[in-house]
Amino acid sequence: MANGAWKIARGKGSPQLPLAIVAVIALAVVLIGKAQSSVFDHARAYFSDWTAPLLETARGPVKSVSNWTSGIGNYFDVYQENLRLKEDNARLRQWQNAALVLEQRVKRYQLLLNAVQDPSLGAVTAHVIGRANRPFLNTMILDAGKAQGVKPGEAVVDARGMIGRIFLAGDHTSWVILLTDLNSRIPVAIEPGNIQAIMTGDNTAAPSLETLGQGVQLKDGDQIVTSGDGGLLPSGLQVGTVAADGNIFRSVLLSDAGTSDDVRVLNLKSPPEQPPAPSPNDLPVAAAGLAPLAPPSVAPPLANGAATPTGQKPPSVKLLHPLTPAPAQATAPVDPDDR
Amino acid sequence: MHDRIGFSIGNVFAAVIPFLCGVIGAFITNIPISIFGNNVVPPLLALMPVYFWCLVRPDLMPPWVALVLGILEDMLSGGQPGVWTAAFVASYALVDQQRESFAGLAGFGAIIGFAAAMFAASATAYVVNDFLYWRILPVSTLIEQFAITILFYIPGAALLNLIHRRLVGPLRSDF
Repeated sequence: MANGAWKIARGKGSPQLPLAIVAVIALAVVLIGKAQSSVFDHARAYFSDWTAPLLETARGPVKSVSNWTSGIGNYFDVYQENLRLKEDNARLRQWQNAALVLEQRVKRYQLLLNAVQDPSLGAVTAHVIGRANRPFLNTMILDAGKAQGVKPGEAVVDARGMIGRIFLAGDHTSWVILLTDLNSRIPVAIEPGNIQAIMTGDNTAAPSLETLGQGVQLKDGDQIVTSGDGGLLPSGLQVGTVAADGNIFRSVLLSDAGTSDDVRVLNLKSPPEQPPAPSPNDLPVAAAGLAPLAPPSVAPPLANGAATPTGQKPPSVKLLHPLTPAPAQATAPVDPDDR
Repeated sequence: MHDRIGFSIGNVFAAVIPFLCGVIGAFITNIPISIFGNNVVPPLLALMPVYFWCLVRPDLMPPWVALVLGILEDMLSGGQPGVWTAAFVASYALVDQQRESFAGLAGFGAIIGFAAAMFAASATAYVVNDFLYWRILPVSTLIEQFAITILFYIPGAALLNLIHRRLVGPLRSDF
């Protein structure tokens, strides 16, 4: 501690990189990192893959110590906590029954309306093997990577709601950017009213909300879910509730990234719902009852992939969402003699 | 001849120790495991060897070593590249400019000296991050890290003192 105890020993004529040049190099690293932020990503992924067994081994005892240090206060109110949990459990069972009834009702409505199915979701379950809480970074490391099908951009959820999304995937580990991180910006919808907003992390426990509409009114306690805009994240994932903070609104997150040990990484197996292509009957001319123009003469259809008389193959058309065939009772009966 | 080779190996080993201490500090800081439930920001351990040997043996802690340690800290921390690189170099520059003042400090004064170096690093990191994100960022976590790092410097400096006395040697400036 006593710096004054040592004499300053300087190098004798040894060639050293001058401080000014080192400062210029440091500035260059900042600019290169800004322009090409993936420079260090491969090294980080390799490092986390390499240290994953060590982290897995260290996780058990460290978790025990952490539980012990953070849980001492809980021993004093076990009885009250137990009563509260029983009440919560009874209330949640009522909600579960209501949710099951509503689920069946929604299914019936979807069948009646011939609605497009919701996008199917795949999930990879992963353990949290590391967490990093830095001044400018909030992240966690999972023990699932490319080998398990995890890809950058996918949503990470725990039992309560969304935690963040994958921003770097190694072979057997992946890094999660938490919703509270400075780099996190996700499109959300606020219910009721389906108000579109962007939730931005600012290194505080409650990310801020920036509504996209003019003059929209938010209220404390409104539900925040992912909107699915952009097609990267699934829509409808629970995120949190709205809380006013002075002139701005923030999101009180449902998930707890600090205590979650097992999470799921969600991936969209099928793309989100998109509006089907309009049929000729949906066009304005047909809808207005006007006679359509006579179509130009068309050569008879060729076999799939066959060459046209000019020697060119017809362009292949691939429908993103094939139209559902019309029900049989809706078609006009055909007289066999008219063939 | 053997003595000459043995002496050279010893000298090289002694010269590498400050750098190794910085590397170990960077690794310990960035181990993504916390016994405090991730509620406490880890101290910036890699800055301690930079400050310590920049004062007592600047020949063993040249500017490029501070640069390399900053790059390593950036790589391991997972943040924006270049933030801690610039912070370490700025802190080194401050200590290098004020070496005579800092070297005369002892006891509580030495902690104040390190606090000044840590302040330079934190302020640089904050300004660089503000520039990279193009907005004013909250400082609470940075202040927390500042305080915890200074707290950890008290045992850290004692450990570095011990390493310096036993392994490096106070006046080996002729390599």
